[in-house]
Amino acid sequence: MTNEEAKFILSAFRPNGMDTDNPRFGDALRMAGTDPILGQWLERSRAYDSAVAGKLKQVAPPPSLREAILAGARVSAGPRGGMRRLTWIAGLAAAAALAVTLLTMKEPTRPGSLVPAFASFAIADALRDGHVGHGEPSEALITGLQASGAPMPGAEQIDFDRLKDTGCRTLSFAGRDVIEVCFARDGTLFHLYIARIDPSRADLSTKGPVFIEQAGGAAAVWSDHNLGFALASKAGVEAIRRLF
Amino acid sequence: MNDEAFTQLVDANYASLYRFALSLARNGADAGDLVQQTFFIWATKGHGLRELSKAKSWLFTTLYREFLRGRRRDSRSSSLEDLPPAERDPVAEDIDRVSRIDAGAVMAALQTVDESFRSPLTLFYIEDMSYQEIADTLDVPIGTVMSRLSRGKAQLRMALERSEAPSSKVLPFPSTKGSRAS
Repeated sequence: MTNEEAKFILSAFRPNGMDTDNPRFGDALRMAGTDPILGQWLERSRAYDSAVAGKLKQVAPPPSLREAILAGARVSAGPRGGMRRLTWIAGLAAAAALAVTLLTMKEPTRPGSLVPAFASFAIADALRDGHVGHGEPSEALITGLQASGAPMPGAEQIDFDRLKDTGCRTLSFAGRDVIEVCFARDGTLFHLYIARIDPSRADLSTKGPVFIEQAGGAAAVWSDHNLGFALASKAGVEAIRRLF
Repeated sequence: MNDEAFTQLVDANYASLYRFALSLARNGADAGDLVQQTFFIWATKGHGLRELSKAKSWLFTTLYREFLRGRRRDSRSSSLEDLPPAERDPVAEDIDRVSRIDAGAVMAALQTVDESFRSPLTLFYIEDMSYQEIADTLDVPIGTVMSRLSRGKAQLRMALERSEAPSSKVLPFPSTKGSRAS
């Protein structure tokens, strides 16, 4: 074994020493123990790897990610009874865990089981950076949304497939595609999330709008025919209320 | 899996999954989406896994597959023949450099490493995975893992060196994937 071959093998040697007893590294480690040049290389290499690993482990996920996972990804799709129950439990647990404050402009009639989770999902995403990229068909929609006093859209104003196919940012919530369209109105940035409603379960259906506020942001959720909408902003629930 | 167990699973793994996703996707929004999608798949399929001790490996493998599935449309993967040779060995200055710069800059440098090298490198550094575990997670041979670790480390050293050069520029952290706000 040459020094270069030993270095190649030792590149996979973990800096925390967990591979010391692994026989695959045995010959290379013995060489490093007897060859000072290779030994120094290994020492520097482990110190460097430790430094890089330590830095990378400091990178923290966004504070909202955990809540978004629990509120959204945890909700299982599926028509089985058990899954329906899980959907309700997850939705309620998410609402409790997030200290969600439900404020309704109009009392919603039996809101869909995914409504709180959809609001949390929208708020969590709105708090992140990186809301970029959209297709031309969204231009007209954005223009309409930006107009002072304009009503929030319903299903008739949305061509879901066309928006998705032509480049709107598409996310995933509870196993379904969600399109995001961002717009500014009166100097405030809003994020509109649009998802299809499964007609067999109506889990996003609400006569709403349902207003939900949690740390860092707020959202309104409503539905129209086959589409569910969540409007989220960092500006708080009052800023969102003014759009309805 | 009950609520408490699921929460424990999320708490134990979501941060490291996010770091892995961030190194792959190169922007925070997509990384968050990947992590959420991974846990969603777990909620719908993975909870049937009999051995919970394998949950972590399952999550990383699933996230990686989701990443590959998502970017298959518009990118090509490198073959080993395309890969550049390994560069120079680490010197003391490299260690000092890493100690000086902040975590975001190290992640940004990692994000510039070729994807073929970046995946094993991230699992090696962030998850302390062995070469065998990396091979299992990424479904590549052990020899390939060793080769990619060796070359990936060299690329990362070069990227970190460039990140400190006055006229150079590495990807911002977190980066975004477009040119204008939607």
